Amino acid sequence: MRMARTSRKAPAGTDDHPLRFEATVHAGPRARALARVADLDLDRVPDPRGDVRVLVSADELARLLDDGYEVHVHGALRQAPLDPGLVLDDDEAVRWLEEMVEGIPREEGS
Amino acid sequence: MYRTVAQLDSLGNLLATWFPSYFTRIALPEQSVEGRTVYALRLRAGGGDERRGVLLVGGTHARELMNPDAIIELAVDLFVSHANGTDIVYGGKRWAASDIRLILESLDLWLVPCMNPDGRNHCMTTDAMWRKNRRDNPRTTCDGVDLNRNFAVLWGVTQGQTSCSPCSDVFAGPSAFSEPETRNIKHLLDTRRIDCFADVHSFSELILWPWGHAPSQTTDPSKRFTTLADGTCAPIPQAGYQEYIAARDRQRFETVGLRIRDAIAAVRGRVYVSEPGIGLYATTGTQSDYVYSRHIADPALRKTYGFTFETGPSTGSAQDSFQPADPTLVKRDAKSGMIALMQQCVCAIELIGARFFDTDAEVDQLRAVRDELLATTEAGRRWIALFERVQGPVLTTLMGDEELMTDAAGLIGRAAELGGNQRKRLTEKDIGRAVRLARTLSERTEDAEVRLDLEEVEAKLGGLRGKSLSGAVEQIMREKPRKMWH
Repeated sequence: MRMARTSRKAPAGTDDHPLRFEATVHAGPRARALARVADLDLDRVPDPRGDVRVLVSADELARLLDDGYEVHVHGALRQAPLDPGLVLDDDEAVRWLEEMVEGIPREEGS
Repeated sequence: MYRTVAQLDSLGNLLATWFPSYFTRIALPEQSVEGRTVYALRLRAGGGDERRGVLLVGGTHARELMNPDAIIELAVDLFVSHANGTDIVYGGKRWAASDIRLILESLDLWLVPCMNPDGRNHCMTTDAMWRKNRRDNPRTTCDGVDLNRNFAVLWGVTQGQTSCSPCSDVFAGPSAFSEPETRNIKHLLDTRRIDCFADVHSFSELILWPWGHAPSQTTDPSKRFTTLADGTCAPIPQAGYQEYIAARDRQRFETVGLRIRDAIAAVRGRVYVSEPGIGLYATTGTQSDYVYSRHIADPALRKTYGFTFETGPSTGSAQDSFQPADPTLVKRDAKSGMIALMQQCVCAIELIGARFFDTDAEVDQLRAVRDELLATTEAGRRWIALFERVQGPVLTTLMGDEELMTDAAGLIGRAAELGGNQRKRLTEKDIGRAVRLARTLSERTEDAEVRLDLEEVEAKLGGLRGKSLSGAVEQIMREKPRKMWH
């Protein structure tokens, strides 16, 4: 999604779970210096092509557009904890270690 | 799958409880902002005094979840390999049991799997994209300090991705080492012998080394970070500023970085880029630059080679790149890279010296030749690089053969003796002993590059007959090795 200044209103999400946008910032028609993006104190993440890629709130996105940058939005994610399905279970964590060291005599109590 | 902070702590505790002859767990002196204890785990095999040390730190940036898991898993892999005498196999890369034995028996491995436990917990309970620690910044609604901007190297100089704004995700904090989490790492560096270091981040498949704040150069030592003001909340004032790095150190970073890259690529073909930190983007106050900068800011401190790993590829979305649903393959790559760093940190001369000589005199003599003579010319630095390339595999062979080890120690002692008396000359017998050793080591290695390097050494030795040690070194300083890997 490429955002121009005239259509800059982005959904902000809810107060509890605000949206973050993953976007790349480009010089735009006003040829803004991309080096100045650093001055905006945004959350920059690596980009495989060397572009300026950021994670920004709706307000920050609007600020970039107001400043004359062209912004390409690549996705949006709601502020939320890690998917619990990606978190290891406590028992599983210990079982993993027990399996890894199986057969190696423990020295505890020695 | 990712482990919680409690699970990571529990694994460290179990390892230290079950296998205390390998693992020692210590609570670092400062609790995190939210009151969590931060732990370091030391892994070594065998006894003896403090050894050369490698420090691996994970979880500096909270959302880069896979690296704390990778570090604790690596500790287990290394332990199991040593205890069972088994190779470690990561995809296409096989680390021989003898390689792991050398690492565990010659180094102290210091692991801080999760230096920012509050941030990790926040990711898992509130906001998966959280990066900083959980500092409550007074008079603002914004929390957190970027721990990888809080170290005392050009702290608060807002070059590139560093900020003095508490609401920024790259906020450097109110002062250098304002955060207990960063002070814990400083404590380890101040109190333990750390020669090699890696701060393990994600993502981009990079191996980074100094400098992060400016391009580096090897010709003008007056351009030092120590001459620049810190805490300015402004970029470096000199346009086009380039930071000095000694040519020898730059070469060492390049050589080790490429070894790490190769060890990762051998797993499944992911080719990381090894480059100065500024290649990602400009930064100040970072952990790995601080680690290396310490000996420059204070010459009384030990030099530590500091790296930053950026593990895993960019997959198109930040969330999936930071937290892939299955990080197994990325962790395997990273673990192979970390082993390569450990292997590169082993110092053959120091290890043999500690075993065979009563004092450090012999080792110090040879170290002086390396740093004060060889390192001053391009050809000399190439020979140092060659030696550093082969020393790990060579040591592995020596440790399995007491007679060869004794021969090597004898040659080191003889070299030190020659260094102490310039009237003494390399004799036919000296050269013969050295050639025999190089040839035997060459015959025993399975690594084609190591074999070629050793053949190079053997060829060079013949021309040194009748020379004093300084004469031999001067000759070496003029003629580069013919084969130059990388």
